[in-house]
Amino acid sequence: MKTGNEFAAMKMMNGNEAVARGAFEAGVKIASGFPGTPSTEVMDYTNLKYPDIYCEWSTNEKVALEVAIGASFAGYRSMAIMKTVGLHVAADALGGAAGSQINGGLVLVVGDDVGRIAGDDYNDCRHYGNMFNIPVLEPSDSQEAKDLMVKAFEISEEYSTPVILKITSVTCKTTSRVVIDEEYNFQVRHREKYPVSFSKVIMTTIMTKAKGSEHPKLTKCFNNFTAHMKRLADDSNNFAINKLELNGTKIGIITAGTPYYYVKEVLPEASVLKLGLVMPLPEKQIRELAEHVDKLYVIEDGHDIIEKNIKDLGVSVIGKELFPRFPDMMRFTPDIIEEKLVPGAVKRTPMKDVPFRLPVSCAGCSHLFVSRILKKHKIKAAADVTCGLIGCFPHMESYSLQKCMGSSIALAHGYNKAKGQDENFVAMIGDGGFWATGINGLMNLIFNNGQSTVIIVDNSCLAMTGGQHVASSEFGFNYKPENKLDIAKVCEAIGVSDIVSVDAYEFDNLEESILNSVNAKTNSVVIVKKPCVTKFKLPKATPSYIDQDKCTKCRKCVGIGCLAIESKTNDGLVDIVINQDICTGCGLCSTTCKFEAIKS
Amino acid sequence: MQDTGKNIIIAGVGGQGILLFSNLLGKFYMKLGYELKTSDVIGLGQRGGGVESHFRYSNKPVLSPFIKAGDVDYVISFEQTETLRHLHCLKKEGVVFSSTYELTSSSVNTRLQKDLPESKTDIIKRSENKTFIIDPEENKSSEFNINKMMNIFMLGYYAEFRGYSHDEMIQIVKESVPAKFVEGNIKAYEKGSAIARAELVVS
Repeated sequence: MKTGNEFAAMKMMNGNEAVARGAFEAGVKIASGFPGTPSTEVMDYTNLKYPDIYCEWSTNEKVALEVAIGASFAGYRSMAIMKTVGLHVAADALGGAAGSQINGGLVLVVGDDVGRIAGDDYNDCRHYGNMFNIPVLEPSDSQEAKDLMVKAFEISEEYSTPVILKITSVTCKTTSRVVIDEEYNFQVRHREKYPVSFSKVIMTTIMTKAKGSEHPKLTKCFNNFTAHMKRLADDSNNFAINKLELNGTKIGIITAGTPYYYVKEVLPEASVLKLGLVMPLPEKQIRELAEHVDKLYVIEDGHDIIEKNIKDLGVSVIGKELFPRFPDMMRFTPDIIEEKLVPGAVKRTPMKDVPFRLPVSCAGCSHLFVSRILKKHKIKAAADVTCGLIGCFPHMESYSLQKCMGSSIALAHGYNKAKGQDENFVAMIGDGGFWATGINGLMNLIFNNGQSTVIIVDNSCLAMTGGQHVASSEFGFNYKPENKLDIAKVCEAIGVSDIVSVDAYEFDNLEESILNSVNAKTNSVVIVKKPCVTKFKLPKATPSYIDQDKCTKCRKCVGIGCLAIESKTNDGLVDIVINQDICTGCGLCSTTCKFEAIKS
Repeated sequence: MQDTGKNIIIAGVGGQGILLFSNLLGKFYMKLGYELKTSDVIGLGQRGGGVESHFRYSNKPVLSPFIKAGDVDYVISFEQTETLRHLHCLKKEGVVFSSTYELTSSSVNTRLQKDLPESKTDIIKRSENKTFIIDPEENKSSEFNINKMMNIFMLGYYAEFRGYSHDEMIQIVKESVPAKFVEGNIKAYEKGSAIARAELVVS
């Protein structure tokens, strides 16, 4: 391996790409994960650029983490990639790994949607650090994303603990320079230190209940995780990734992530403690900064977690009272810091009343067909986490219930069990949601004698996050035709009474199939097939247009929620028009027009 | 005076090639030896959502990936509703490049919200900043689809405005877009720079 600087090169990388590079330089052997904005591309880049690393999109985040834990126990460095919402799914697996013996380093790369840029709830993955007593690292640019990835594996092995690397919608999507060694030779690292690794529940049960627990048979199972974390907290005072920059004595800032750079730009005179390791905290450094300055602030994106942990140390800091979070503030910006901490700063306000953009489905999306039919026949339905959830927004109103990924089948089942036979509350789910956890809902529905109708919109990928493969896709990192799972066959094996597959674009057929299934008093699955228009770049038909002489402006077509149908105002007059560059000619809008104004 | 750096916001809606524009600009300024940071904010929704890219290049290390309101030198926007969203970010001497293309917001289409009562183009023209308005209808060509290649058209326009070498920029375009789109994109680039040349003579 060459180590000199002669091959060092500057590259422009976004945070996701830099994390992948860090995994490569750390000698990761196994990468598992589940797509989720903003961190999906960590896997995409790992798979694309580093063929030495085995990559898989697992069926869901819990499975992904379990795969990584197994690989780590086998002695190899492993990473699991997911967004914070996905970590909720994987939390049980993380609880099992936390506090237990680690052979190969185990790192969770977790994407927080700070600012709700992709529309997640206001989550913060660092809570898991507190809850499970495990370290969390947070980079502030791409260089750090790469470097902290390597550090995360070192910490994982040295302190025998899983480690979370928290990245955000800002770090993931920001491109900055990274120094890399272009001649770096990939080296898989292997370390089998512990012959057993149980969840800490088992060890602590032994340790707390048994007298004479110093017996080697017991102690060999025991991982003194609280002592490891204490040692890490002490050591972190000397970590280069925690930087104490003592400048002026008026203002001190404790910060992490991209807000560090907002602080440096807005308050160049301030003394700053920049944390790379945000959990556990370097107590000595914090006290040194507190002694040095008149006022000490915490500026951290997400929840007030560093702030609370510092207050727990008995150090007084200003945080949330000055910077109230959601819904007052979505994320830190240089402007917010300037407004609060720089006297006399000019505040600029955006122009009022600029129309807001609600999310809209792509023109030609199969979900629009399903939404339209449900709305037309006033069929009450639950949506899932899928592109189809756009049908829940007030401009479409096709669904009345929507919760987490994979939930809709169980939601409908519960609703129907409660309401009895009076109505059939339908479940709509995407192929991704079905394989993720929806399949559990379907098994549950059948063996508990449920009679619901499930519409599975199969677009052959996880469209929302950019078209990653799922178990039934005809492509993928480890794809082999003989291993492809078949939704209809699985439904059949589970015991669904009535299964029908329909092409989404055959409107009449789809309408009839959905109505038949909803009206039959038995459990049923309607599989709506059409590959994602965007991912698979489906060939376009001749675009439709509106004959303005015939259009009565009834706006029925606008109600389907297609991006291509616009309401244009010219000199006070409204025209409903179809954007010729966007329209795919799928013909759905013409099914809404009883005046025959829509033509192709 | 030597250019020490600029702050640019590139705005528009999904599918307009904003990230490609920012990527091409990044390659150009890297070659000139500048430090840079670009940050993409991709909003809610799939196609048709608002997209903005904060692009900063400097001869010193760039700190914040986001540009403070009031620090923006150029707003380059491919959709005029999105232009309005960023006007307040400009410096006094900042410049706006805005397409008159408009993708009506879904909230307006479905009457959840009223559209602005007057022409967005007029509001932009009235702003305190120097403004260049580009009408895709007026610049239509049989050689390229301007609605699909407004980004590269605008790149040519911007490069001309800044007095940059077109050869270098075109080389970067060639290296970065798929082979089958190279020809159309170069036509779009050349048209953009030609229109800017004519416009700059007038102003």
